Amino acid sequence: MPRDDYRERLDTLRGEVVSTGETVVGRLRDALVALEDKDDELARRVVEGDDEVNERYLEIEQECVDLIALQQPVAGDLRFVVASFKIVTDLERVGDLAVNLSDRATEARRDRFAEVDVQEIGAFAASMVEDAVEAYENGDIEACRGVAESDDVLDTRCEGATRRVIRELADAAHEDADGSVSDAKNLLLTVRDLERVGDHGVNIAARTLYMVEHEDELLR
Amino acid sequence: MTETTTETEEQSTGTSVGSGDTDTRTTKGESEERTRDEWREYSFSEDAILSVDDLNVYYGDDHALKDISMDIPEKSVTALIGPSGCGKSTFLRCLNRMNDRIKSARVEGTVEYNGEDVYQDGTNLVELRKRIGMVFQAPNPFPKSIRDNIAYGPRKHGDINRGFVASLLGRDDKEEEDELVEESLRKAALWDEVNDRLDDNALGLSGGQQQRLCIARCLAVNPEVILMDEPASALDPVATSKIEDLIEELAKEYTVVVVTHNMQQAARISDQTAVFLTGGELVEYDETDKIFENPESQRVEDYVTGKFG
Repeated sequence: MPRDDYRERLDTLRGEVVSTGETVVGRLRDALVALEDKDDELARRVVEGDDEVNERYLEIEQECVDLIALQQPVAGDLRFVVASFKIVTDLERVGDLAVNLSDRATEARRDRFAEVDVQEIGAFAASMVEDAVEAYENGDIEACRGVAESDDVLDTRCEGATRRVIRELADAAHEDADGSVSDAKNLLLTVRDLERVGDHGVNIAARTLYMVEHEDELLR
Repeated sequence: MTETTTETEEQSTGTSVGSGDTDTRTTKGESEERTRDEWREYSFSEDAILSVDDLNVYYGDDHALKDISMDIPEKSVTALIGPSGCGKSTFLRCLNRMNDRIKSARVEGTVEYNGEDVYQDGTNLVELRKRIGMVFQAPNPFPKSIRDNIAYGPRKHGDINRGFVASLLGRDDKEEEDELVEESLRKAALWDEVNDRLDDNALGLSGGQQQRLCIARCLAVNPEVILMDEPASALDPVATSKIEDLIEELAKEYTVVVVTHNMQQAARISDQTAVFLTGGELVEYDETDKIFENPESQRVEDYVTGKFG
Protein backbone atom coordinates (compact mmCIF):
# COMPACT_ATOMS: atom_id res chain seq x y z
CA MET A 1 0.00 0.00 0.00
CA PRO A 2 1.42 3.43 -0.91
CA ARG A 3 2.16 6.04 1.75
CA ASP A 4 3.30 3.49 4.32
CA ASP A 5 4.98 6.07 6.55
CA TYR A 6 1.86 8.17 6.56
CA ARG A 7 -0.37 5.24 7.48
CA GLU A 8 2.07 4.34 10.24
CA ARG A 9 1.88 7.87 11.61
CA LEU A 10 -1.91 7.66 11.68
CA ASP A 11 -1.70 4.38 13.60
CA THR A 12 0.80 5.88 16.02
CA LEU A 13 -1.49 8.87 16.55
CA ARG A 14 -4.37 6.56 17.40
CA GLY A 15 -2.16 4.70 19.87
CA GLU A 16 -0.99 7.92 21.52
CA VAL A 17 -4.53 9.22 21.97
CA VAL A 18 -5.68 5.89 23.42
CA SER A 19 -2.77 5.70 25.82
CA THR A 20 -3.36 9.29 26.94
CA GLY A 21 -6.99 8.30 27.51
CA GLU A 22 -5.91 5.35 29.63
CA THR A 23 -3.58 7.58 31.62
CA VAL A 24 -6.22 10.20 32.46
CA VAL A 25 -8.80 7.58 33.37
CA GLY A 26 -6.18 6.08 35.67
CA ARG A 27 -5.50 9.52 37.20
CA LEU A 28 -9.21 10.04 37.72
CA ARG A 29 -9.52 6.73 39.52
CA ASP A 30 -6.47 7.56 41.64
CA ALA A 31 -8.08 10.88 42.56
CA LEU A 32 -11.24 9.06 43.64
CA VAL A 33 -9.20 6.72 45.80
CA ALA A 34 -7.33 9.70 47.29
CA LEU A 35 -10.67 11.32 48.00
CA GLU A 36 -12.04 8.21 49.67
CA ASP A 37 -8.93 7.41 51.72
CA LYS A 38 -7.87 11.03 52.31
CA ASP A 39 -4.57 9.93 50.88
CA ASP A 40 -2.43 13.06 50.61
CA GLU A 41 0.43 11.27 48.93
CA LEU A 42 -1.70 9.78 46.16
CA ALA A 43 -3.46 13.13 45.66
CA ARG A 44 -0.09 14.83 45.26
CA ARG A 45 0.99 12.29 42.65
CA VAL A 46 -2.16 12.94 40.62
CA VAL A 47 -1.54 16.70 40.73
CA GLU A 48 2.10 16.33 39.75
CA GLY A 49 1.30 13.85 37.00
CA ASP A 50 -0.80 16.43 35.23
CA ASP A 51 2.28 18.07 33.69
CA GLU A 52 3.00 14.87 31.84
CA VAL A 53 -0.59 14.72 30.55
CA ASN A 54 -0.37 18.32 29.37
CA GLU A 55 2.87 17.61 27.59
CA ARG A 56 1.47 14.60 25.77
CA TYR A 57 -1.61 16.62 24.88
CA LEU A 58 0.57 19.29 23.24
CA GLU A 59 2.64 16.67 21.41
CA ILE A 60 -0.45 14.98 20.00
CA GLU A 61 -1.90 18.33 18.98
CA GLN A 62 1.36 19.17 17.19
CA GLU A 63 1.35 15.81 15.42
CA CYS A 64 -2.20 16.50 14.17
CA VAL A 65 -1.11 19.92 12.88
CA ASP A 66 1.93 18.35 11.18
CA LEU A 67 -0.18 15.66 9.55
CA ILE A 68 -2.65 18.23 8.23
CA ALA A 69 0.07 20.56 7.00
CA LEU A 70 2.43 17.98 5.53
CA GLN A 71 0.30 15.01 4.52
CA GLN A 72 -3.00 16.72 3.68
CA PRO A 73 -5.26 13.94 4.91
CA VAL A 74 -8.69 13.78 3.29
CA ALA A 75 -11.92 11.85 3.69
CA GLY A 76 -11.81 9.25 6.50
CA ASP A 77 -8.20 10.11 7.32
CA LEU A 78 -9.07 13.78 7.71
CA ARG A 79 -12.02 13.00 9.98
CA PHE A 80 -9.76 10.77 12.06
CA VAL A 81 -7.10 13.46 12.51
CA VAL A 82 -9.66 16.18 13.26
CA ALA A 83 -11.47 13.92 15.73
CA SER A 84 -8.20 13.02 17.45
CA PHE A 85 -7.32 16.70 17.70
CA LYS A 86 -10.59 17.43 19.49
CA ILE A 87 -10.62 14.27 21.60
CA VAL A 88 -7.19 14.88 23.06
CA THR A 89 -8.44 18.25 24.32
CA ASP A 90 -11.28 16.52 26.14
CA LEU A 91 -8.82 14.06 27.65
CA GLU A 92 -6.62 16.87 28.87
CA ARG A 93 -9.67 18.44 30.56
CA VAL A 94 -10.49 15.15 32.26
CA GLY A 95 -6.94 15.21 33.58
CA ASP A 96 -7.53 18.72 34.97
CA LEU A 97 -10.72 17.56 36.66
CA ALA A 98 -8.81 14.70 38.30
CA VAL A 99 -6.46 17.36 39.66
CA ASN A 100 -9.44 19.31 41.02
CA LEU A 101 -10.65 16.20 42.80
CA SER A 102 -7.22 15.55 44.28
CA ASP A 103 -6.99 19.13 45.52
CA ARG A 104 -10.12 18.55 47.55
CA ALA A 105 -9.14 15.08 48.74
CA THR A 106 -7.91 16.08 52.14
CA GLU A 107 -10.19 19.02 52.76
CA ALA A 108 -13.48 17.18 53.10
CA ARG A 109 -14.22 15.19 56.23
CA ARG A 110 -16.50 12.86 54.29
CA ASP A 111 -18.39 11.59 57.29
CA ARG A 112 -20.96 14.27 56.79
CA PHE A 113 -23.40 13.74 53.88
CA ALA A 114 -22.75 10.02 54.00
CA GLU A 115 -25.74 9.38 51.78
CA VAL A 116 -23.99 10.94 48.79
CA ASP A 117 -21.95 8.28 47.08
CA VAL A 118 -19.25 10.23 45.25
CA GLN A 119 -17.33 7.03 44.60
CA GLU A 120 -20.19 5.47 42.72
CA ILE A 121 -20.72 8.62 40.64
CA GLY A 122 -16.99 8.88 40.02
CA ALA A 123 -16.68 5.26 38.93
CA PHE A 124 -19.57 5.74 36.54
CA ALA A 125 -18.06 8.91 35.01
CA ALA A 126 -14.63 7.28 34.69
CA SER A 127 -16.07 4.29 32.90
CA MET A 128 -17.87 6.59 30.45
CA VAL A 129 -14.53 8.11 29.46
CA GLU A 130 -12.96 4.67 29.33
CA ASP A 131 -15.75 3.38 27.07
CA ALA A 132 -15.50 6.45 24.84
CA VAL A 133 -11.75 5.98 24.38
CA GLU A 134 -12.30 2.33 23.59
CA ALA A 135 -15.00 3.27 21.06
CA TYR A 136 -12.50 5.65 19.45
CA GLU A 137 -9.86 2.96 19.31
CA ASN A 138 -12.21 0.48 17.64
CA GLY A 139 -14.32 2.94 15.63
CA ASP A 140 -17.35 1.49 17.41
CA ILE A 141 -20.38 3.67 16.75
CA GLU A 142 -22.77 1.64 18.90
CA ALA A 143 -20.48 2.19 21.87
CA CYS A 144 -20.48 5.94 21.06
CA ARG A 145 -24.26 6.05 21.31
CA GLY A 146 -24.06 4.00 24.51
CA VAL A 147 -21.78 6.59 26.11
CA ALA A 148 -24.12 9.39 25.07
CA GLU A 149 -27.06 7.54 26.65
CA SER A 150 -25.14 6.91 29.88
CA ASP A 151 -24.81 10.63 30.30
CA ASP A 152 -28.50 10.95 31.20
CA VAL A 153 -27.98 8.46 34.02
CA LEU A 154 -24.93 10.33 35.28
CA ASP A 155 -26.72 13.68 35.11
CA THR A 156 -29.64 12.29 37.12
CA ARG A 157 -27.32 10.92 39.79
CA CYS A 158 -25.39 14.17 40.03
CA GLU A 159 -28.60 16.15 40.25
CA GLY A 160 -29.88 13.80 42.99
CA ALA A 161 -26.63 14.09 44.93
CA THR A 162 -26.69 17.87 44.72
CA ARG A 163 -30.25 18.05 45.99
CA ARG A 164 -29.49 15.73 48.88
CA VAL A 165 -26.55 17.80 50.02
CA ILE A 166 -28.51 21.02 49.88
CA ARG A 167 -31.52 19.52 51.65
CA GLU A 168 -29.40 18.10 54.46
CA LEU A 169 -27.60 21.37 54.79
CA ALA A 170 -30.91 23.22 55.11
CA ASP A 171 -32.56 20.67 57.42
CA ALA A 172 -29.90 19.83 59.88
CA ALA A 173 -29.04 22.05 62.76
CA HIS A 174 -25.47 20.92 62.83
CA GLU A 175 -23.26 21.82 65.70
CA ASP A 176 -20.48 22.47 63.24
CA ALA A 177 -22.31 24.70 60.74
CA ASP A 178 -19.16 26.18 59.20
CA GLY A 179 -17.66 22.75 58.62
CA SER A 180 -20.87 21.54 57.01
CA VAL A 181 -20.93 24.44 54.60
CA SER A 182 -17.32 23.83 53.68
CA ASP A 183 -17.87 20.11 53.18
CA ALA A 184 -21.03 20.78 51.23
CA LYS A 185 -19.19 23.17 48.97
CA ASN A 186 -16.45 20.64 48.28
CA LEU A 187 -18.91 17.88 47.68
CA LEU A 188 -20.99 19.96 45.29
CA LEU A 189 -17.92 21.00 43.34
CA THR A 190 -16.77 17.39 43.17
CA VAL A 191 -20.13 16.24 41.92
CA ARG A 192 -20.10 19.00 39.32
CA ASP A 193 -16.59 18.02 38.22
CA LEU A 194 -17.64 14.41 37.84
CA GLU A 195 -20.61 15.47 35.82
CA ARG A 196 -18.20 17.31 33.56
CA VAL A 197 -16.03 14.23 33.25
CA GLY A 198 -19.09 12.53 31.82
CA ASP A 199 -19.62 15.42 29.40
CA HIS A 200 -16.08 15.01 28.11
CA GLY A 201 -16.76 11.30 27.69
CA VAL A 202 -19.77 12.22 25.56
CA ASN A 203 -17.67 14.67 23.54
CA ILE A 204 -15.14 11.94 22.82
CA ALA A 205 -17.91 9.60 21.75
CA ALA A 206 -19.47 12.31 19.59
CA ARG A 207 -16.19 13.02 17.80
CA THR A 208 -15.64 9.33 17.31
CA LEU A 209 -19.07 8.96 15.73
CA TYR A 210 -18.20 11.85 13.41
CA MET A 211 -14.89 10.20 12.61
CA VAL A 212 -16.47 6.89 11.68
CA GLU A 213 -19.73 7.95 10.10
CA HIS A 214 -19.43 11.65 9.30
CA GLU A 215 -22.46 11.92 11.55
CA ASP A 216 -22.84 14.92 13.86
CA GLU A 217 -25.94 13.78 15.77
CA LEU A 218 -24.13 13.63 19.11
CA LEU A 219 -22.39 16.95 18.57
CA ARG A 220 -25.63 18.89 18.60
CA MET B 1 1.68 14.92 -30.34
CA THR B 2 0.34 15.16 -26.82
CA GLU B 3 -2.92 13.67 -27.97
CA THR B 4 -1.22 10.68 -29.54
CA THR B 5 0.60 9.95 -26.30
CA THR B 6 -2.57 10.11 -24.24
CA GLU B 7 -4.34 7.92 -26.73
CA THR B 8 -1.74 5.20 -26.38
CA GLU B 9 -1.84 5.49 -22.61
CA GLU B 10 -5.58 5.06 -22.52
CA GLN B 11 -5.49 2.21 -24.99
CA SER B 12 -2.98 0.32 -22.93
CA THR B 13 -4.95 0.61 -19.70
CA GLY B 14 -8.26 0.07 -21.44
CA THR B 15 -7.43 -3.53 -22.28
CA SER B 16 -7.06 -4.79 -18.74
CA VAL B 17 -10.51 -3.71 -17.70
CA GLY B 18 -13.45 -5.91 -16.85
CA SER B 19 -17.01 -5.01 -17.71
CA GLY B 20 -18.47 -1.94 -16.10
CA ASP B 21 -21.75 -1.73 -17.88
CA THR B 22 -23.84 -0.50 -14.98
CA ASP B 23 -23.38 2.57 -12.88
CA THR B 24 -22.13 0.82 -9.85
CA ARG B 25 -21.34 2.64 -6.68
CA THR B 26 -19.98 0.76 -3.78
CA THR B 27 -20.85 2.16 -0.42
CA LYS B 28 -18.78 1.21 2.57
CA GLY B 29 -19.51 -2.35 3.46
CA GLU B 30 -22.25 -2.97 0.92
CA SER B 31 -22.64 -2.56 -2.78
CA GLU B 32 -25.46 -0.86 -4.44
CA GLU B 33 -26.38 -0.30 -8.03
CA ARG B 34 -27.52 3.08 -9.08
CA THR B 35 -30.01 3.45 -11.88
CA ARG B 36 -29.55 6.16 -14.44
CA ASP B 37 -32.41 8.16 -12.93
CA GLU B 38 -30.76 8.10 -9.56
CA TRP B 39 -27.56 9.33 -11.12
CA ARG B 40 -29.52 12.21 -12.56
CA GLU B 41 -30.86 13.11 -9.16
CA TYR B 42 -27.35 12.88 -7.88
CA SER B 43 -26.15 15.27 -10.53
CA PHE B 44 -26.74 18.96 -10.69
CA SER B 45 -29.21 18.95 -13.55
CA GLU B 46 -31.17 22.11 -12.75
CA ASP B 47 -28.56 24.58 -13.87
CA ALA B 48 -26.68 22.25 -16.19
CA ILE B 49 -24.97 23.85 -19.15
CA LEU B 50 -23.50 20.52 -20.26
CA SER B 51 -25.45 17.35 -19.90
CA VAL B 52 -23.72 14.09 -20.73
CA ASP B 53 -25.82 10.98 -21.10
CA ASP B 54 -24.67 7.42 -21.50
CA LEU B 55 -21.38 8.41 -23.05
CA ASN B 56 -19.16 5.59 -24.29
CA VAL B 57 -15.84 6.13 -26.01
CA TYR B 58 -13.79 3.48 -27.76
CA TYR B 59 -10.28 3.72 -29.14
CA GLY B 60 -10.39 0.90 -31.63
CA ASP B 61 -11.41 -2.09 -29.50
CA ASP B 62 -10.58 -0.46 -26.21
CA HIS B 63 -13.50 0.81 -24.19
CA ALA B 64 -12.07 4.04 -22.74
CA LEU B 65 -15.20 5.54 -21.16
CA LYS B 66 -18.15 3.51 -19.93
CA ASP B 67 -21.71 4.77 -19.64
CA ILE B 68 -20.84 8.17 -18.32
CA SER B 69 -23.79 10.34 -17.36
CA MET B 70 -23.25 13.61 -15.61
CA ASP B 71 -24.47 17.18 -15.64
CA ILE B 72 -22.11 20.09 -15.37
CA PRO B 73 -23.65 23.18 -13.76
CA GLU B 74 -22.96 26.56 -15.29
CA LYS B 75 -20.70 29.21 -13.77
CA SER B 76 -18.88 26.85 -11.47
CA VAL B 77 -15.69 24.82 -11.40
CA THR B 78 -16.01 21.09 -12.03
CA ALA B 79 -12.88 19.04 -11.39
CA LEU B 80 -12.23 15.68 -13.02
CA ILE B 81 -9.79 13.53 -11.07
CA GLY B 82 -8.54 9.98 -11.30
CA PRO B 83 -5.43 7.93 -11.99
CA SER B 84 -3.64 8.00 -15.34
CA GLY B 85 -5.58 6.27 -18.04
CA CYS B 86 -8.95 6.53 -16.30
CA GLY B 87 -10.43 8.48 -19.17
CA LYS B 88 -10.79 11.90 -17.60
CA SER B 89 -8.96 13.71 -20.42
CA THR B 90 -10.92 11.70 -22.95
CA PHE B 91 -14.10 12.83 -21.24
CA LEU B 92 -12.96 16.45 -21.28
CA ARG B 93 -12.17 16.28 -24.97
CA CYS B 94 -15.61 14.87 -25.75
CA LEU B 95 -17.21 18.04 -24.46
CA ASN B 96 -16.06 20.08 -27.45
CA ARG B 97 -15.40 17.16 -29.79
CA MET B 98 -11.64 17.38 -29.70
CA ASN B 99 -11.65 13.58 -29.94
CA ASP B 100 -12.82 13.94 -33.53
CA ARG B 101 -9.19 14.52 -34.35
CA ILE B 102 -8.25 11.02 -33.20
CA LYS B 103 -9.05 8.65 -36.04
CA SER B 104 -9.53 5.50 -33.98
CA ALA B 105 -11.87 7.18 -31.47
CA ARG B 106 -15.56 6.28 -31.58
CA VAL B 107 -18.08 8.12 -29.42
CA GLU B 108 -21.57 6.92 -28.46
CA GLY B 109 -24.16 8.66 -26.32
CA THR B 110 -25.03 12.32 -26.11
CA VAL B 111 -23.28 15.45 -24.92
CA GLU B 112 -25.79 18.23 -24.72
CA TYR B 113 -24.55 21.78 -24.62
CA ASN B 114 -27.39 24.16 -23.79
CA GLY B 115 -29.81 21.42 -24.75
CA GLU B 116 -28.26 20.64 -28.16
CA ASP B 117 -26.35 17.42 -28.77
CA VAL B 118 -22.88 18.43 -29.89
CA TYR B 119 -22.49 15.08 -31.65
CA GLN B 120 -25.52 15.53 -33.88
CA ASP B 121 -24.93 15.97 -37.61
CA GLY B 122 -24.44 19.52 -38.73
CA THR B 123 -22.80 20.81 -35.57
CA ASN B 124 -20.57 23.73 -36.48
CA LEU B 125 -17.30 22.66 -34.89
CA VAL B 126 -15.65 26.06 -35.21
CA GLU B 127 -18.56 27.69 -33.43
CA LEU B 128 -18.67 24.88 -30.82
CA ARG B 129 -15.00 25.27 -29.96
CA LYS B 130 -15.40 29.03 -29.81
CA ARG B 131 -18.12 28.60 -27.20
CA ILE B 132 -16.34 25.74 -25.43
CA GLY B 133 -12.69 26.76 -25.38
CA MET B 134 -9.74 24.73 -24.24
CA VAL B 135 -6.50 25.33 -22.36
CA PHE B 136 -3.83 22.65 -22.44
CA GLN B 137 -1.22 21.31 -20.05
CA ALA B 138 1.79 22.98 -21.63
CA PRO B 139 1.38 26.66 -22.46
CA ASN B 140 1.25 26.89 -26.24
CA PRO B 141 1.26 30.54 -27.30
CA PHE B 142 1.78 31.35 -30.96
CA PRO B 143 5.27 32.63 -31.74
CA LYS B 144 3.78 36.07 -32.23
CA SER B 145 3.34 39.21 -30.18
CA ILE B 146 1.20 39.18 -27.05
CA ARG B 147 -1.36 41.34 -28.85
CA ASP B 148 -1.45 39.06 -31.89
CA ASN B 149 -1.95 36.01 -29.70
CA ILE B 150 -5.09 37.55 -28.19
CA ALA B 151 -6.42 39.05 -31.41
CA TYR B 152 -5.70 36.00 -33.54
CA GLY B 153 -9.03 34.27 -32.91
CA PRO B 154 -11.29 37.31 -33.27
CA ARG B 155 -9.44 38.33 -36.48
CA LYS B 156 -9.78 34.81 -37.90
CA HIS B 157 -13.46 34.71 -37.05
CA GLY B 158 -13.91 38.12 -38.65
CA ASP B 159 -15.07 39.71 -35.43
CA ILE B 160 -12.26 42.22 -35.77
CA ASN B 161 -10.93 43.65 -39.02
CA ARG B 162 -7.34 44.81 -39.18
CA GLY B 163 -4.68 45.42 -41.76
CA PHE B 164 -4.10 47.32 -44.94
CA VAL B 165 -7.32 46.35 -46.72
CA ALA B 166 -9.45 47.04 -43.69
CA SER B 167 -7.92 50.49 -43.30
CA LEU B 168 -8.44 51.24 -47.00
CA LEU B 169 -12.09 50.33 -46.57
CA GLY B 170 -12.24 52.53 -43.49
CA ARG B 171 -13.11 49.55 -41.31
CA ASP B 172 -9.99 49.23 -39.22
CA ASP B 173 -11.11 48.04 -35.77
CA LYS B 174 -7.94 49.16 -33.96
CA GLU B 175 -9.88 50.55 -31.00
CA GLU B 176 -12.08 47.48 -30.66
CA GLU B 177 -9.00 45.32 -30.79
CA ASP B 178 -7.24 47.38 -28.14
CA GLU B 179 -10.26 47.06 -25.89
CA LEU B 180 -10.56 43.34 -26.49
CA VAL B 181 -6.86 42.75 -25.82
CA GLU B 182 -7.01 44.73 -22.59
CA GLU B 183 -10.24 43.11 -21.42
CA SER B 184 -9.00 39.59 -22.14
CA LEU B 185 -5.66 40.19 -20.47
CA ARG B 186 -7.35 41.75 -17.46
CA LYS B 187 -9.72 38.82 -17.09
CA ALA B 188 -6.73 36.49 -17.26
CA ALA B 189 -4.96 38.54 -14.56
CA LEU B 190 -2.07 39.30 -16.89
CA TRP B 191 -2.70 42.90 -17.94
CA ASP B 192 -0.68 44.54 -15.17
CA GLU B 193 2.34 42.43 -16.00
CA VAL B 194 2.40 42.92 -19.77
CA ASN B 195 0.56 46.14 -20.67
CA ASP B 196 3.81 47.94 -21.45
CA ARG B 197 5.04 45.28 -23.87
CA LEU B 198 2.06 44.07 -25.86
CA ASP B 199 4.12 43.95 -29.02
CA ASP B 200 6.83 41.76 -27.53
CA ASN B 201 6.98 38.13 -28.55
CA ALA B 202 4.82 35.95 -26.29
CA LEU B 203 7.53 33.32 -26.07
CA GLY B 204 9.54 35.77 -23.95
CA LEU B 205 6.99 35.46 -21.13
CA SER B 206 7.48 33.10 -18.19
CA GLY B 207 5.67 29.74 -18.24
CA GLY B 208 2.97 30.96 -15.87
CA GLN B 209 2.47 34.13 -17.89
CA GLN B 210 2.30 32.11 -21.09
CA GLN B 211 -0.40 29.93 -19.60
CA ARG B 212 -2.42 32.96 -18.53
CA LEU B 213 -1.91 34.34 -22.03
CA CYS B 214 -3.40 31.13 -23.42
CA ILE B 215 -6.36 31.60 -21.09
CA ALA B 216 -6.69 35.22 -22.28
CA ARG B 217 -6.55 34.00 -25.88
CA CYS B 218 -9.33 31.56 -25.12
CA LEU B 219 -11.42 34.30 -23.49
CA ALA B 220 -10.97 36.64 -26.47
CA VAL B 221 -13.38 34.63 -28.63
CA ASN B 222 -16.05 34.95 -25.94
CA PRO B 223 -16.55 31.37 -24.76
CA GLU B 224 -19.14 30.17 -22.30
CA VAL B 225 -17.27 27.08 -21.14
CA ILE B 226 -13.52 26.71 -20.61
CA LEU B 227 -12.01 23.23 -20.56
CA MET B 228 -8.63 22.92 -18.92
CA ASP B 229 -6.43 19.86 -19.14
CA GLU B 230 -3.95 20.00 -16.26
CA PRO B 231 -3.47 23.74 -16.72
CA ALA B 232 -0.95 24.14 -13.90
CA SER B 233 0.98 20.89 -13.90
CA ALA B 234 3.92 22.42 -15.78
CA LEU B 235 4.12 25.47 -13.53
CA ASP B 236 5.92 26.38 -10.32
CA PRO B 237 3.91 26.86 -7.09
CA VAL B 238 3.56 30.64 -7.42
CA ALA B 239 2.42 30.44 -11.04
CA THR B 240 0.13 27.58 -10.01
CA SER B 241 -1.52 29.69 -7.30
CA LYS B 242 -2.11 32.44 -9.82
CA ILE B 243 -3.81 30.02 -12.19
CA GLU B 244 -5.88 28.61 -9.31
CA ASP B 245 -6.97 32.10 -8.24
CA LEU B 246 -7.79 32.86 -11.83
CA ILE B 247 -9.92 29.73 -12.23
CA GLU B 248 -12.01 30.71 -9.22
CA GLU B 249 -12.39 34.21 -10.59
CA LEU B 250 -13.35 32.96 -14.06
CA ALA B 251 -16.09 30.76 -12.61
CA LYS B 252 -18.09 33.88 -11.76
CA GLU B 253 -18.62 34.41 -15.46
CA TYR B 254 -17.72 31.14 -17.16
CA THR B 255 -18.18 27.43 -16.64
CA VAL B 256 -14.82 25.81 -15.97
CA VAL B 257 -14.15 22.09 -16.30
CA VAL B 258 -10.66 21.14 -15.20
CA VAL B 259 -8.74 17.89 -15.33
CA THR B 260 -6.08 17.65 -12.66
CA HIS B 261 -3.75 15.05 -11.21
CA ASN B 262 -3.32 17.20 -8.15
CA MET B 263 -6.10 16.23 -5.77
CA GLN B 264 -5.38 19.08 -3.40
CA GLN B 265 -5.78 21.43 -6.32
CA ALA B 266 -9.15 19.91 -7.15
CA ALA B 267 -10.12 20.27 -3.50
CA ARG B 268 -9.03 23.91 -3.40
CA ILE B 269 -10.58 25.21 -6.57
CA SER B 270 -13.61 23.16 -7.55
CA ASP B 271 -17.27 23.26 -6.59
CA GLN B 272 -17.94 19.70 -7.65
CA THR B 273 -15.62 16.81 -8.32
CA ALA B 274 -16.02 13.78 -10.54
CA VAL B 275 -13.83 10.80 -9.73
CA PHE B 276 -12.98 8.54 -12.66
CA LEU B 277 -11.25 5.30 -11.83
CA THR B 278 -9.30 2.86 -13.94
CA GLY B 279 -11.49 1.27 -16.55
CA GLY B 280 -13.17 4.48 -17.67
CA GLU B 281 -15.85 4.50 -15.01
CA LEU B 282 -17.26 7.55 -13.32
CA VAL B 283 -17.35 6.21 -9.78
CA GLU B 284 -18.54 9.23 -7.86
CA TYR B 285 -19.62 12.75 -8.67
CA ASP B 286 -20.63 15.14 -5.93
CA GLU B 287 -19.96 18.44 -4.19
CA THR B 288 -16.21 18.71 -3.70
CA ASP B 289 -16.36 18.87 0.10
CA LYS B 290 -18.37 15.65 0.15
CA ILE B 291 -15.81 13.87 -2.03
CA PHE B 292 -12.91 14.93 0.18
CA GLU B 293 -14.62 14.66 3.56
CA ASN B 294 -16.95 11.73 3.23
CA PRO B 295 -17.08 9.99 -0.13
CA GLU B 296 -19.78 7.35 -0.59
CA SER B 297 -17.63 4.89 -2.46
CA GLN B 298 -14.90 2.91 -0.73
CA ARG B 299 -12.92 2.95 -3.99
CA VAL B 300 -13.04 6.75 -4.02
CA GLU B 301 -12.07 6.87 -0.34
CA ASP B 302 -9.09 4.64 -1.08
CA TYR B 303 -8.11 6.75 -4.07
CA VAL B 304 -8.31 10.17 -2.42
CA THR B 305 -6.56 9.00 0.74
CA GLY B 306 -3.77 7.55 -1.39
CA LYS B 307 -4.35 3.92 -0.47
CA PHE B 308 -3.99 3.08 -4.15
CA GLY B 309 -3.39 4.89 -7.40
